[in-house]
Amino acid sequence: MQIHKKTATLLLALAALLVPNACQKDLLDPVPKDNLSDATIFATPDRFLSLINGIYDQMKSGAFYGGRFVVYGDIRAEEFLNETGNGVTGLATWNHTVGDATNEVNNLWNATYTTINSCNIFIEGADINRANLNNDALANQYIGEARLVRAICYHSLLRMYCRPYADGNGSQLGVPLRVRPENGPENNNLARSTVAEVYNQILDDLAYAEANLAATNGSALLNVTRAHKNTAIALKVRVLMAMQRYTDAITEANKLVPAAAPYKAPSGVAHELQANVKNVFTTPYTTTESILSMPFTTNDLPGTQNGLGSYYNPGPRGIGDFSLNPAGIIGDSVHFPGADARRQFVLIHTNNKPYLNKFPAGPEHLDYVPVLRYAEVLLSLAEAEARVNGVNQRAVDMLNAVHGRSNAGVTFTTGDFASAADLIAAIMFERRVEFLGEGHRALDLQRLLEAFPGKANVASILPSVPDYIWPIPSGELAVNKDCVQNP
Amino acid sequence: MKRILLGLALLFLSAGFAFGQRTVSGKVTSDQGEALIGVTVTAPGTRAGVQTDADGAFQLSIPDNASVLKFAYTGFMTKEVPLTASNVYDVVLEVNLNTLQEVVVVGYGTQQKRAITGNISTVKGDDIAQLPAQSFDQLLQGRAAGVNVSLPNGVLNNPPVFRVRGINSINLSSFPLVVIDGVPTFTGNIGNSAANNVLSNLNPNDIESIDILKDASATAIYGSRASAGVVLITTKRGQKGKTRVNYDAWAGWTSATRVPEVLNAQQYVEVKNEAAANAGLTGPQFFLDSIAGQLIDTRWADYIYRTGFSHNHGLSFSGGTEQTTYYLSLGFTEQEGMIIGNDFRRLSGRLNLDHNLTGRIKIGGILGYTQNENFGPNSGSLPGQAFNTSGAGRLAFVTAPVIDPYLYDANGNRLPGTAGYNIASNNQPGRGKNKQQVGFVNPTILLDYNTHTSEANQIQSAVYAQLEILKGLSVKTQYGIDNVRAENITFWTPLHGDGFGQNGLAANTSQNFQRWNWQNILNYDFTVANLHTFGLLAGHEEQGTVTEGWGAQRTVIADPFFTTYQGNFTTNNPSGNFQGENYLLSYFGRLNYEFNKRYYLTFNVRQDEYSAFASGEKKGTFWGASAGWTVSEEAFWQNNLGSVINFFKIRGSYGTVGNNNGIGDFASQSLYGSGLYAAVPTIVYTQAGNPLLSWETSKKTDVGIVFGLFNDRLQGEYTYFINQIDGLVQNAPQAPSKGIPGNSIAINIGAMENVGHEIGLSATVLRRGNFSWQSNINLTLMHNEVTELYEGSDIFSTTSGLESTNIIRVGESVGSIYAVETMGINPENGRRLFVKADGTVVQYNHIVPTGQSRWTTLDGATASAPSLVADGKVIGPGIPKWFGGWDNTFTYGDFDLNIQVNYAGGNYIYNGSQAGLRDQRFWNNHVDVLDRWTETNTDGTIPRVVFGDNVSNGSTMAITENVQKGDFLRIRNITIGYRLPARLLDRVKITNLRVYANANNAFLFTGYEGTDPEVSTNGNGNATPGVDRNTVPMARTFTVGLNLGF
Repeated sequence: MQIHKKTATLLLALAALLVPNACQKDLLDPVPKDNLSDATIFATPDRFLSLINGIYDQMKSGAFYGGRFVVYGDIRAEEFLNETGNGVTGLATWNHTVGDATNEVNNLWNATYTTINSCNIFIEGADINRANLNNDALANQYIGEARLVRAICYHSLLRMYCRPYADGNGSQLGVPLRVRPENGPENNNLARSTVAEVYNQILDDLAYAEANLAATNGSALLNVTRAHKNTAIALKVRVLMAMQRYTDAITEANKLVPAAAPYKAPSGVAHELQANVKNVFTTPYTTTESILSMPFTTNDLPGTQNGLGSYYNPGPRGIGDFSLNPAGIIGDSVHFPGADARRQFVLIHTNNKPYLNKFPAGPEHLDYVPVLRYAEVLLSLAEAEARVNGVNQRAVDMLNAVHGRSNAGVTFTTGDFASAADLIAAIMFERRVEFLGEGHRALDLQRLLEAFPGKANVASILPSVPDYIWPIPSGELAVNKDCVQNP
Repeated sequence: MKRILLGLALLFLSAGFAFGQRTVSGKVTSDQGEALIGVTVTAPGTRAGVQTDADGAFQLSIPDNASVLKFAYTGFMTKEVPLTASNVYDVVLEVNLNTLQEVVVVGYGTQQKRAITGNISTVKGDDIAQLPAQSFDQLLQGRAAGVNVSLPNGVLNNPPVFRVRGINSINLSSFPLVVIDGVPTFTGNIGNSAANNVLSNLNPNDIESIDILKDASATAIYGSRASAGVVLITTKRGQKGKTRVNYDAWAGWTSATRVPEVLNAQQYVEVKNEAAANAGLTGPQFFLDSIAGQLIDTRWADYIYRTGFSHNHGLSFSGGTEQTTYYLSLGFTEQEGMIIGNDFRRLSGRLNLDHNLTGRIKIGGILGYTQNENFGPNSGSLPGQAFNTSGAGRLAFVTAPVIDPYLYDANGNRLPGTAGYNIASNNQPGRGKNKQQVGFVNPTILLDYNTHTSEANQIQSAVYAQLEILKGLSVKTQYGIDNVRAENITFWTPLHGDGFGQNGLAANTSQNFQRWNWQNILNYDFTVANLHTFGLLAGHEEQGTVTEGWGAQRTVIADPFFTTYQGNFTTNNPSGNFQGENYLLSYFGRLNYEFNKRYYLTFNVRQDEYSAFASGEKKGTFWGASAGWTVSEEAFWQNNLGSVINFFKIRGSYGTVGNNNGIGDFASQSLYGSGLYAAVPTIVYTQAGNPLLSWETSKKTDVGIVFGLFNDRLQGEYTYFINQIDGLVQNAPQAPSKGIPGNSIAINIGAMENVGHEIGLSATVLRRGNFSWQSNINLTLMHNEVTELYEGSDIFSTTSGLESTNIIRVGESVGSIYAVETMGINPENGRRLFVKADGTVVQYNHIVPTGQSRWTTLDGATASAPSLVADGKVIGPGIPKWFGGWDNTFTYGDFDLNIQVNYAGGNYIYNGSQAGLRDQRFWNNHVDVLDRWTETNTDGTIPRVVFGDNVSNGSTMAITENVQKGDFLRIRNITIGYRLPARLLDRVKITNLRVYANANNAFLFTGYEGTDPEVSTNGNGNATPGVDRNTVPMARTFTVGLNLGF
């Protein structure tokens, strides 16, 4: 009897089980708990802001402005020697053996275009959804920030993968110019625009940014870590210098540099040189000399083998992949005399080798990465003035402003320079000293079509050889059928 | 119900009392003289029946009208003995060589082997249980046709590469679905630098059988998940009869094989100083002696490899009554790998229980619990690790022999503690007197101070109830869970190596994989008119899986005293976070039809809905049909061929199955993640979704024959198969300039085909007196071809994201080896010659005077560097075109000898380690560099050495110089056993005792020059097979063991 009842119960239970439970159907449409759906990203004003910060953060990726891109800008040139022979940390870039499949050639391209697509998604999405922000000026400001970052990205790509503007006035092959959001599988094929076409887009973006960005962002931190009007202007100066449009560069630079000392931006964020250059690279990294920098916190670090300090600091503060080349600018006691305050950035390590000590934080590389500094505006103005007007007081004043800040004992006069070439040479030496480790050297050589000097047992690279620029990465060529390799 | 029970009881009674009774007894033994326990003894036509006891003895009361005694025992020929006046019947049973009588496990049930029309290979648990390994899947090399299993290297518990009929997907998994006692389990590596194969949680001693379903007919019942094959594991159950106790144990010693032979100190100094001079460096850079003037010649491999000791124990109890059977087991294994610090431990327990509640209701369940612990150094040999500068495999051959691992005081005593390691402040080994870098890092301190552990706990459990409604008609419900909880712990010392850049690191992560599975199955077997046998199955299954991971990474150690996560560090960041869930809802059915044991038909169908696919695309219907004709049952056959070919069956199948294995839980959705820009939150594009994403399907065609010759002394099968995979879920490459996250979107596009032949033969080659030779051989020939890709674009795939070595291209085998052609060296100047796509030959010189090009044509004109993409070419498949195994068992009296061989070939291997072993940075070189080009050795095989040259030998791009054939034949196992005679054991109440010795990976025959032709630096990756890059070699293990039963 007992068993009989049990049997019946079991039978019933089985029957009940065999009828699938309808509510389980919900399980077929799970929603991720740790990611947002694309449909909701412009839903609130806070998300607009988070998207903008996301764009800066992508620009700050380790492969790009978070570290490596800046490192490549220096190690292609003559100031550093490779110490670790590690192919993962820039060896091929340093000795000019990169191929189209080399990881840094692909990774930088990927990181840059990822940032560009985020800019494009934002530029279009913010416009469509501006009602959710309910503040037109703010919407335009955000779009201006995205366009400014896009300009930086395209300029960075041109610097690495394309012939300089000077080679045929921008008529050489540029990069694929993408200004619309990409979310689906379409549009893989896109031919390379010319260098000039890409530059036009950059200038267009910067003009929009200048018109729509805030005059200031309200705090020292935000003025350094997010773009404002003067950021757009300073960037224009850099871009125009690369295009050798010196007169236009003077016009833009003059917006930021008054006719007479003290040199301090007359409007917007009051950029000016700091008395001691070291303060620019010291916590909190937010002096008015910094126009744009990439910030870090212990919760947002550049990542393994990315930080500037990882490359340049000897252990235990870094890996020390690169020491300073004794035959580079640090060996030049004329342009970089012992009394120069910037000698404090040269550290003789226990192995008797000189290392760059500009980004000393380590092993956590918390030092902000400088993207744009007021000193660059001054030296670009000096160079443009010298190139347009020959030896002149304004150019020498600009040189003195930067040089004198670190070497008060020396004040140049126009009489010190027999020719414009002499003055320009002095300014270029000054740039090497001032921006050592800030990623400028390779661009300075390339925009003037000068050879990469040899170093250690690596030979000089002439502007005429293919190795003068990076190849288009294999990843792009494999998919984008309209994209051609550099000759 | 009550009435039926009463009726049954009456029947029993009537059987008992209708006739007079007598009692017969006897003993049943095997033809080897062993007592057989649990033999079913019946008197057909009556209800009398009993089983033999532990001594093989039986006693049975039978009615007077009984005429025959029938003795049935699994694996032995059933014997009928006519009853005579005698009451004592001692019977000898012969082993049944006809395996076609065996029962084979199929999806959601079992079937007699003779009736199988699908394609299934079976491996017996006992064939592999005593071999040294961490998991059963490592032991399946060469054991079944169509199944190719290879170990990636000698890292303990590294999941093997497991392919059922080749690679069946590009971006999803090609690892088969593994189902343990009906519940699909988790697979893959869940460890950190300590590999942790989830499947190692199953104690191989607990496995009764492994059935590998290969064709559409067999797999369609698993519909959506069957594309890469299905592996059904059945664990041991108890048998009616007295308790059997088994104790199995082995102990073994493991060491590395084929460690690359590198330059000794003297050779190193000679080669590298020559290279330095060729590079224009002034004076010698490397020296034989230390600063203190002592000669140094360090063999770094000696500081990384060891002979590891392992031992393994399995204890099981099984038995049962008419109502209840049980299997209870405990397992313990502790294994040391060939790399210092690479250890594995497992403790497992299992209880399988079946109980007849009433005559019609059966309940039961399984409960398996396992704890495993894995310890490992950074071997640099797991997928993604190949270029780790702290990888032990690489450090063993890259580090210069001219420095000491340790530091000593003036008296030659090693300095105490961490001062005793030769490390410099730049995170490199100390250079001593040498002027150049001498190593990436010093491995000794890392092996001593860094720790990686991965510990997993897994519960596999299922309970079922089965009701027989009518004879042949039953319903069964089963609810199972499979929960894995794993904890990965990493500590890196701040002193040196990986932890140096972060000033020490401790990371603990927890992972949780939880699955429930509920199945309801209705089964109806019936026969009509004694000729038509039907088997019907209808089922419903639901499965939910939740995966979660979380943890933190702590860096910048507060004090070097701390060595654990719980110590103090200044910086804390989350790490190892993931969160996902998926759900599968299915209905399925099967019809088996058999006519007169001659004609067989099977039809399977399954409908699945899976949560990860796009809305409206979740549902997929899969089916398979097969037919078989046992020709040998026909009269015309029996009259003619039957005396030679006693069994002959033709079978074929066709069907479509699917694949969702390895797809992300939210793969169809476009997603944005949130992170930090310094201190403020961000939203960042993380995944471009596809609103049309759906099942990847494959159409499988299978035709073959099964035969038995000379009364089944030779059995065999042959199969021809075609697997056409359509709508491959391809992570379709997007132009990187589009900026899509990961440069890919999952799209159902692309097609691939696997076509092949499988041949399996099994024979009793010789059986004379005490001697027998049983031999099984199988061979699979396979052709893989990618037939369609997204926009026709090639997909280049990399080892560890750094070195492009493989290509997926329409018309080629998936993951073919791809490299720039080289043609030796120019005897004029010792430069490596490269061939560009247009046929131009260019040569490379690493150091040239300013203004000259490193790349020149043969007449010295400036040339551009070869490009891997533009100038590379497909060399050949990265996956074997043929593979198989040959298993021989010889017995002579109480001795047995097993020799198991496996072989594979037709594939190419990118020997990237060779590029490293010839690199002219400080890296130590293979001894083949001694034959370098010099002014006096102009026919040298290695380019002129130039210090710093990372191009000529393939470090910057894959070159054909480093591509080699992967053909091999391996004597995988040699086992010699001795079974102690029963007459000795009877006195101590032992049923059986066998002792054996085994050599695993005993011999290898291959022309491949790298570590091992089975190597897989990239593990199970579909896109990058056949790459040997900086990995540790394979291990060889010798064991001795025993099997004890009482």
